[in-house]
Amino acid sequence: MFLAGVPIPGFTKDKPPGNISVILLEGGMDGLTAVPPIGDPSLITMRKTLTPKDFLKLNSFFGLHPSLPNFSRLMAKNNASIVHATSFPYIKRSHFEGQNLMEGGGLSPFSEKTGWLGRALEIANLPGKALSLEMPLILRGYKNNDNFYPASIKKSNSLISSLITKIAMAHSKDEADIFAKLSRKSSQSSITARDPVSLAKYAGKEMSRENGPIASVIRIGQFDTHANQVSEDDYDRNGDHAKRLEIIDDVIAAYRKGLGDAWDRSIILTLTEFGRTVAVNGTRGTEHGYGSVGFLAGGTISKSRVVSEWPGLSKNEQFESRDLMATIDYRSVCAACIERSLGLDHDRIASEIFFTPKLPRIYDYIFS
Amino acid sequence: MNEQFRVAQKIGLMFRPETEIPEDIKDWAISQLHADSPALGISKKYGKIKPWPQSMQPNLDERARLWRLYRENKKKERERKDSQELASAKQANRQNNLMREKDEMKFAHRNVYGKDQIRMRLMSFWANHFTIGNTFDNESLIGHAMEGAILANLNSPFSEMLYKVTTHPGMLTYLDNIWSAGEESKHTINCRKKVDCQAGLNDNLGRELLELHTVSPKAGYSETDIRQTAKVLAGWGINFDASIEKLNKNGGTTNHWDMYKTRYAEPGNKTVLGKVIGVDRGGLRQLTDHLASNEYTIMHLSAKLCQHFVSDNPQKKDIDYIAKVWRSSKGDLDQIHSAVINCAINSKDDKFQWPMNWLFQVIRLSDATFFKGWQDVYNYDNDLMDVKNIFKELGQSFWSTRQPDGYSSNKEEWLSGEMFERRLRFSDVIYSVGRTKTSPEKIMDRIGANMTTRNLVESAGGTRRLRFIALMCSPELMGLKSV
Repeated sequence: MFLAGVPIPGFTKDKPPGNISVILLEGGMDGLTAVPPIGDPSLITMRKTLTPKDFLKLNSFFGLHPSLPNFSRLMAKNNASIVHATSFPYIKRSHFEGQNLMEGGGLSPFSEKTGWLGRALEIANLPGKALSLEMPLILRGYKNNDNFYPASIKKSNSLISSLITKIAMAHSKDEADIFAKLSRKSSQSSITARDPVSLAKYAGKEMSRENGPIASVIRIGQFDTHANQVSEDDYDRNGDHAKRLEIIDDVIAAYRKGLGDAWDRSIILTLTEFGRTVAVNGTRGTEHGYGSVGFLAGGTISKSRVVSEWPGLSKNEQFESRDLMATIDYRSVCAACIERSLGLDHDRIASEIFFTPKLPRIYDYIFS
Repeated sequence: MNEQFRVAQKIGLMFRPETEIPEDIKDWAISQLHADSPALGISKKYGKIKPWPQSMQPNLDERARLWRLYRENKKKERERKDSQELASAKQANRQNNLMREKDEMKFAHRNVYGKDQIRMRLMSFWANHFTIGNTFDNESLIGHAMEGAILANLNSPFSEMLYKVTTHPGMLTYLDNIWSAGEESKHTINCRKKVDCQAGLNDNLGRELLELHTVSPKAGYSETDIRQTAKVLAGWGINFDASIEKLNKNGGTTNHWDMYKTRYAEPGNKTVLGKVIGVDRGGLRQLTDHLASNEYTIMHLSAKLCQHFVSDNPQKKDIDYIAKVWRSSKGDLDQIHSAVINCAINSKDDKFQWPMNWLFQVIRLSDATFFKGWQDVYNYDNDLMDVKNIFKELGQSFWSTRQPDGYSSNKEEWLSGEMFERRLRFSDVIYSVGRTKTSPEKIMDRIGANMTTRNLVESAGGTRRLRFIALMCSPELMGLKSV
């Protein structure tokens, strides 16, 4: 009786404490370019051509790539943080195993058929939305999760829900559920643009609505810069990797715009499958590595920080003498964001979502 | 579905209305492996089916020449020379010299109008296995790799296909190998003496050759194996806009497909997965032959073929059977594909159809027109979408920018509201603009539709349009289990 009115995490139908958005950075983001550790003496000897000259200074040790001006402003407003030298616990450098682990959150590649965010939403009994044509692994595992990606088909009429209901009835299980959900969907889509920035703004708006989705997922691809990561002349201002960082920056800004007042209870985080080699390769790029960076933004952050247990960059401090070492398990970052947004208990997140009862809790480093 | 259509759905693209349905479906399927395989299509909307003109199917050298012209005109455009900056000139440059839209249309036509449906399905399977994503500077090469390296080798040993794909300029560009140089190559050593010159290895293709194309991570190879593979590959490939003269000078060749730059090659033997690989251009063939016959490659690819053609959850006995044929035939693709056909026919499991294959099957069954004719590749049509937009909308195209692991054959990866909405919308549009000549009832009779499908179509209501959508989105036509 005395619990009346106190929400019990995972069992409550009450409004959750916040919302959570995930930006998937596919291909392996180069954390050392995005957030160069300018205070590490090895950086300039090992990565002269990969480090932007006009980086923004975060503190005496870390800089920020100049392609992230919005993020820098959020840092200044204490609404954004960075986790550095971090990774999912995966050291083998395959994109596809790595992406499966970052989305599935399993203990070994391809061990899970559902995603960590999907499992969290299932426990919280709250829906999420993917802004993509397919349903990404990370959101699978909860039947009320859905996706949105506006169609553009010439001469296409609006869909007739009674017909779709009949089609749903002929299908079995998962497929029947999907058609049934479609039959309830409004055929009027409010946007037609499909770039990540437009989709982020749309997602933010949807999440700000009463009874809107609590989670959203957006994908940004092509971080796999084996060649021409930086432009020939201009020390990584116009290279391929810098262009991808610009998209992250714009996506976060668009989320903020779309979320409006809901920004105050939001957390946005990036995921990438691995970092890249410390050394530049023979083709002005970098190979698959280990440790990288996570970007966090949202009104739920009240003190901006670079959370890091810096491993060092010299050869003997690198992982296998080639990669940035990861000293923070990124699952702990995801767990903290779930805890903050869905109000689930850390121990439950650790054991039921990440199957790792001893997963360290780092909530206070991010949200206190 | 009757046995003929069940098999044609699982491993083919369905029988068009004008086609006679074979009595012995297994015999037919095996004989299809050697079917006459011209590129059939239509020149104009609603036109007669005929072979694609040779002039629209240039060989690699001609593609290289067109690509150079395109680049030269782009340069003039930037420099505002020869009126190349005018909108009409820019458009002409794209239409005359780039191949992507023609190749993608030809691919669609072949699948819709071809008489070699099983070969088309096999080509798609292998093109997906050896994914060449669009990096723009290789988009005139993707179609050529599909036909020249894959379709042309469907009846060869797997080792031949592997070698031809690995050395295809489309692949060498996509996975960055054209810039890779051995650490001890003449080029890199020379470069080290200069200020701000960068040269050295790029391991992208080496990594995917092991991980995706052959042995898979199950083989337990090391980072050293990947580096050694990259060293074997160093020297292969060149920017597609290099002139023939330059190719001659650097590689002693005029063919983009056998371009090997000795200045970029890593001296000395290499060792990959315990096998010593010799120096020079012959080294790569030693490596791909070794990988092609590796036990891990055999098991990885037997399982992958099974999952694509037999069942989402293939049985071990099927995988083992295909692997056994692979070993005994020494990787002969004819025999391997025959084994796959046997397993697919014997297994009664449903097999969910990829978006693109479902689309081709819907169009073939209903004899609709949904792709423009080749004369109209670049012309606007009131009703018909541009081919590349159709594939984009489906979420599946061999000319898209995508990751090298390609499209999954597993149903789970394709289940989403938006994916299903595309099927509803495409069924609707194919019906309304395609001038289908056959009714849903006729189609159901021909394929021997099951009761669930018949009931669904009947319940869909009085208009033929609704019945058509219901039929094409029925579980049976999508390759799914009915209630």
